[in-house]
Amino acid sequence: MNKSVPVKQVRRDKPSYKGQSVGIWFVLPTVITLVTVVAYPLLYGFYISLFNTNLLNRWKFIGFSNYLDIFTDADFLGTLWVTSRFTAGAVTGHFVIGMILALLLNQEFKGRAIFRAILIVPWLFPEVVVALLWKWMYNPLYGLFNDILLRLGVINEATSWLGSTETALFAVILPVIWKGYPLVMLMILAGLQAIPREQYEVAEIDGASWLQSFRYVTLPSLRHVLMVTLILDTIWWFKHFGVIWILTQGGPIKATRVVSIDIYKTAFESFKFGPAAALAVVVFFIVLLISFIYRRLLSDDA
Amino acid sequence: MMFRKTAALFLILSLLVTAFAQEITLQVMSTTIVENPEGTVEQAIADAFMAENPDIKIEFVGTPMNNIHARLTTLAIGGEVPDVFTHNPEFIAAAYDLGLTADLNELFSEEFLSGFYESALNEATFEGELQFLPWFTTPMGLLYRADWFEEAGLEAPQTWDDFLNAAKTLTQDTDGDGQVDRWGFAMVGTKNGSGFARYAQIMHTFGAQEVRKDENGNWVTDLDSPEGIQALDFFTSLVTEHGVVPPGPTETGYGEAVSLMASEKTAMMVTGPHTIGAILAQNPDLDGKIHSVAIPMGQERSASLGLLGFAISSSSENKEAAAKYLEFLVNTENLLEWNRVTGRMPARVEAGEQPQISGPVYTGFVDAINYAQPVPTTSFYTQLTDVVGEAFQSVMVGGVSAEDAAMQAAEQTRSIIADSE
Repeated sequence: MNKSVPVKQVRRDKPSYKGQSVGIWFVLPTVITLVTVVAYPLLYGFYISLFNTNLLNRWKFIGFSNYLDIFTDADFLGTLWVTSRFTAGAVTGHFVIGMILALLLNQEFKGRAIFRAILIVPWLFPEVVVALLWKWMYNPLYGLFNDILLRLGVINEATSWLGSTETALFAVILPVIWKGYPLVMLMILAGLQAIPREQYEVAEIDGASWLQSFRYVTLPSLRHVLMVTLILDTIWWFKHFGVIWILTQGGPIKATRVVSIDIYKTAFESFKFGPAAALAVVVFFIVLLISFIYRRLLSDDA
Repeated sequence: MMFRKTAALFLILSLLVTAFAQEITLQVMSTTIVENPEGTVEQAIADAFMAENPDIKIEFVGTPMNNIHARLTTLAIGGEVPDVFTHNPEFIAAAYDLGLTADLNELFSEEFLSGFYESALNEATFEGELQFLPWFTTPMGLLYRADWFEEAGLEAPQTWDDFLNAAKTLTQDTDGDGQVDRWGFAMVGTKNGSGFARYAQIMHTFGAQEVRKDENGNWVTDLDSPEGIQALDFFTSLVTEHGVVPPGPTETGYGEAVSLMASEKTAMMVTGPHTIGAILAQNPDLDGKIHSVAIPMGQERSASLGLLGFAISSSSENKEAAAKYLEFLVNTENLLEWNRVTGRMPARVEAGEQPQISGPVYTGFVDAINYAQPVPTTSFYTQLTDVVGEAFQSVMVGGVSAEDAAMQAAEQTRSIIADSE
């Protein structure tokens, strides 16, 4: 006969939060800041996008009409295409130049500190200054580029680099590359300096060439730095406005009309704040998607 | 002892009252304060006003003309509209829609207002309310290098054929190096207000309007009418066919075009009298060499008044002080000094009839007033800047025909009109 073993009743105490309420007070300032600075503007932007409004005395609720208009507008796709080409050009330029310079600056040579300081200079200039400097250099009559190219015989007559639909986009990407490569260079340089020297020594003992060391030691070790930098750089330049606005205002025609200029013109030239807010919301999700794709492609599991 | 204490107390109280009474600060958002030589004169006038009225302080908020509408709108949304701001007919309907302006009929006497040119008051009025106090006009005309015209045996152009002939004649290789280094026409070809306003004037002389009200009171466009297409074809052919415009017209804004005239690279420019001051500020040697003529005739004469003035914000708590400042700004002495330095023409009759506003420099602009057409007052007008700018740019550098570009611009304009209804 089985004797049932008496089960000892274990009294489970209610979890005690005594003293833990203090934690809420530590977290509260951050929560308030995030809600005020991040969540509220995002939600308010979305709210505006549902209206036909001048933000002052006209608020007509129109639901998702502004979004429908965006996705049925062929111009929007054109603008997205220009924005993508601009971003791809800028980010590629930043990474190529940033990587080369970071690798060079990671070597031991005399005057390295001076070169490091000089190469950061473009990053320190305000965007307005950069744009005006380059606009002057591009000037068809007095500009530096035309003067040099004419003297070298590369071109026969003064060329309007910013005024031609064929060259304008490239002409706005160049100053952006010049302005933005130092950040990428610094990030990669910091990543390079964190790679233990022993890894290169082991690769050398195994007979790896410089290229193989770069491929199998440097790049994998930089994976996280590159991912963060790529996400930041892409997002930053995808929604860029200043340099393009000063150089071309999105022209000629629509050759450099990126999505941020579209938003600005819709809001402050056409005074259509609802459609402008809807565009901004769409850009937010595009940027979020880009970030997600990068993470998937560059994560350790990929 | 008691008397001393009372006197001291009275003195302190008086000082406190005086100190608090000096607290009126007028924020004036001005587009001219950031320009040269305009800014210097405007500041001097404000300084003179403050010297006469120590209880009022003028604080300028400078902003370029092409940015003011965007900036004002942003400030309005934040409830921070300055007491006084630059205003013009192009923005009058949009500003009224936003509720930005006070009705100035309530702040100025009828007698004072009767001293303005009627055409100026009409353009500054919307829905029966005086939206801004007219300050000056810059009627659009054609500036030309009289000395070069004389050397080449040319007369001031009266028609577009004359204009083209002069432009071709004056486009030259002056130093004999095989490269053209002087051009006939300083075209403003940017896709902004400066480019749009100038092209619109040229188009009007061909008999087409960007928008107008038809006989039923509905907004319509002539952009794709035969006259509209002809105007676009003529304007763009100056670049694509005749080569009388310096390289890079689509990146030549107002400032660049002024520099082209000042550096003696171009012979003619469609603009207002204010450009004379800007050119002479850069190159004083050109004094007396630049004359003006009304914009050449296509099918008809046409010009814009180019009116600019100051509005008083509906939310301002200092409307009386603002009105006092504006009344001071447009007194005859200040208007003449303003005209002498900047070339901008007075909006008041008494100043406008002075001998100073005459001579070959002003001939074309004074003549242009006779052909002045009011700016269409509609809240969507500013949207046409992009549409029309894209039309002429797509012909000049996009390889599109004038007809196709005009059709597309007209279609976009009709869509804008439909959206606004």
